Amino acid sequence: MMMKGHAKAIPLVITGLLAAMTVFFIADILIGSTDMSASEVLRSLFGKGTPQGEIIVMQFRLPKAITALFAGAAMSVSGLIMQTLFRNPLAGPDVLGISSGAGLGVALTVLAFSPLFSFATTSAFAGWSLILAACAGAGAVMMVILAVSMRMKDIMTVLIVGLLLASAISAVVSLLQYFSNETALRTYVIWTMGNLGNISWQQLRALVLAAVAGLSMAFMMVKPLNAMLMGETFSRTVGVRMKRTRVLLLVAASILAGSVTAFCGPLAFIGVAVPHIARLLLGTTDHRILVPGTAVTGALTLLASDIISTAPGGGHIIPVNTVTSLIGIPVVLWIILGRKGIGRRF
Amino acid sequence: MRLQYLLTCLIFLACSCHHSADQTHRGSLFQAGETSRLTIEEKTGFTRLVIRDPWQNAGGAELEYYLLPRNSEIPAGIREEQVIRVPVSRMIIMSTTHLAMLRALDATDLLVGMAGPQIAYDSLIPDAVARGIVRDVGYEGTLNSELIVSLDPDVLVAYGVTAPSAGQLGRLSSMGVRVVYDADYLEEDPLARCRWIKLFGLLTGKQAMADSLFKDVSARYDDLAERVRNSVHERPSVLLGAPWEDVWYISPSNSYIGRLIADAGGDYLFSDLKENNSVPFSVEAVFKRAADADIWINPGTSENMKELAATDHRLATLPVCTQGEVWNNRKRITGEGGNDYWESAVVRPDLLLMDFVSIIHPELLPEYTPYYYLKLE
Repeated sequence: MMMKGHAKAIPLVITGLLAAMTVFFIADILIGSTDMSASEVLRSLFGKGTPQGEIIVMQFRLPKAITALFAGAAMSVSGLIMQTLFRNPLAGPDVLGISSGAGLGVALTVLAFSPLFSFATTSAFAGWSLILAACAGAGAVMMVILAVSMRMKDIMTVLIVGLLLASAISAVVSLLQYFSNETALRTYVIWTMGNLGNISWQQLRALVLAAVAGLSMAFMMVKPLNAMLMGETFSRTVGVRMKRTRVLLLVAASILAGSVTAFCGPLAFIGVAVPHIARLLLGTTDHRILVPGTAVTGALTLLASDIISTAPGGGHIIPVNTVTSLIGIPVVLWIILGRKGIGRRF
Repeated sequence: MRLQYLLTCLIFLACSCHHSADQTHRGSLFQAGETSRLTIEEKTGFTRLVIRDPWQNAGGAELEYYLLPRNSEIPAGIREEQVIRVPVSRMIIMSTTHLAMLRALDATDLLVGMAGPQIAYDSLIPDAVARGIVRDVGYEGTLNSELIVSLDPDVLVAYGVTAPSAGQLGRLSSMGVRVVYDADYLEEDPLARCRWIKLFGLLTGKQAMADSLFKDVSARYDDLAERVRNSVHERPSVLLGAPWEDVWYISPSNSYIGRLIADAGGDYLFSDLKENNSVPFSVEAVFKRAADADIWINPGTSENMKELAATDHRLATLPVCTQGEVWNNRKRITGEGGNDYWESAVVRPDLLLMDFVSIIHPELLPEYTPYYYLKLE
């Protein structure tokens, strides 16, 4: 489970990751898409800046950095759970159709029922309509997956059902896009590009709550997760109640992926890539280390992506999802090509 | 699919960063014709139309059409596929702006098909669709080609998004449908945009009516713009548009709407931005600049302050919102998504300018109530 020579390095790596995460968190608040001196940012943080500076720091940068922190951690741990549960290195938060389900919810609201959407923006749900739609979509898919996983013994059947569901959903979304006008289409496409920057404190509270709930579940499940690496038969012999564990893990992964997708759009790739980066850095497959390690690595990856997304300068930004993929793909390639036999870790 | 979006986005960024657009300066009515993408040449026995840059980033491409009276012989050197017999009696249009031009010429009876008739503001269209007189031919990219061919139109007026060879329109042309590109939406000048009514005048045989309409509208527009130029000393700063999540696509100042703001005596917040396309900015960057804005125009689909705050709660804290100077083009809309701003305003830039002047300099038009615009309460 642990590579020789790495055991001693683990505390060091974890400390390094935590330090890097803290640095990136601070950097994300200091570096925005507009010019603002560090002292001005600090003054604004403590309520002593200009009114405009305070809004930029307290309403734009700080909630965005906190969102990146929790969304990065949540998505990555969701991916880790999926990879272990399915013993598949390519699994991620989107394989079970949870992200697609959230996307379908949004697509239905934006593309198919735009009168409903405009009603939603004028009613008490203002600002929450897309989030609620995404939650409903992700939740519906999760219910189907759970129902299947309670009936089926073989976890691979669940994986296949999830993949089929995801394909079916993306077909429906394509159909909706096909018949949509440009404005609705643009709203949807921009949603799919991911966004960390349009979250109010109220919404952030809900996201943090969901992320903490999902992460706590993952932390409590580290032992069954370790047992699962040895296969279902082994897990059963060491006393893991398979169906119950599987359902709990699916619930945890779905809460993590569903809530992040609802608030930030599909940031799926980070969920596939980060667990691999964490395994590589920590040199272990022990989930007691891997779960917190992945959470921290995920948080710092998304924070770094967010900082890079302001790179064009002059107030221009690039969508955070594109940054995550552009960083993530070479890293995953490097891991796959550099370390022979990634599969033996599953 | 996502890769496609990514590439589009990267190309978009690259384009918007490196190509600065030609600046258009219009001083008089005469020049409005010169800067237009539409050239009309009257020859003996026919009219030659040249449409320059008919779609975005066309790189100077030109399309040539010859309008010939019915039953006349095609002069030597002209290919048959370039010929449109006029006046046309069956017409398909792709945009609500085309509908407005037909309406202004009292020629909507020629209409047999339309893209997205449900979003037409014109109240007669739903009835015409229900009675099967006007058929819904689908949107660009999802056009019902069989229906279009079976409607046997004399002309299909399209607006170009991409080169015709790439899309369905190219295929329709090869099937014998005469496709004419109306590039009005690409014009950077409100009068140049309105001038496209001349194309519809030529097609429908109502050339004199179109010319006189354009002349009157231009005169009224230029008079008002002149009045503004002579009497305005302070130019209030104008914020334009709305964000999508955390991206704000900013219209360049050398755009149609930038021109309107300038002619109405306003100072566009991004007057330094001169590009071919809208440029994505972070909301944070726009927010910072918008602190100085006196007026906010076209804040997305919001019709009141509550909706605006729901799109982005931070924007409601801008001084321009607390002062209540937020105006949107949603006074004349239908439940199905029709908006007269995207329809009749194309042939009434004079009226649109009056709206802008009354918003930016209400002292110049004290009695006037905006026609297309409402104030967010």
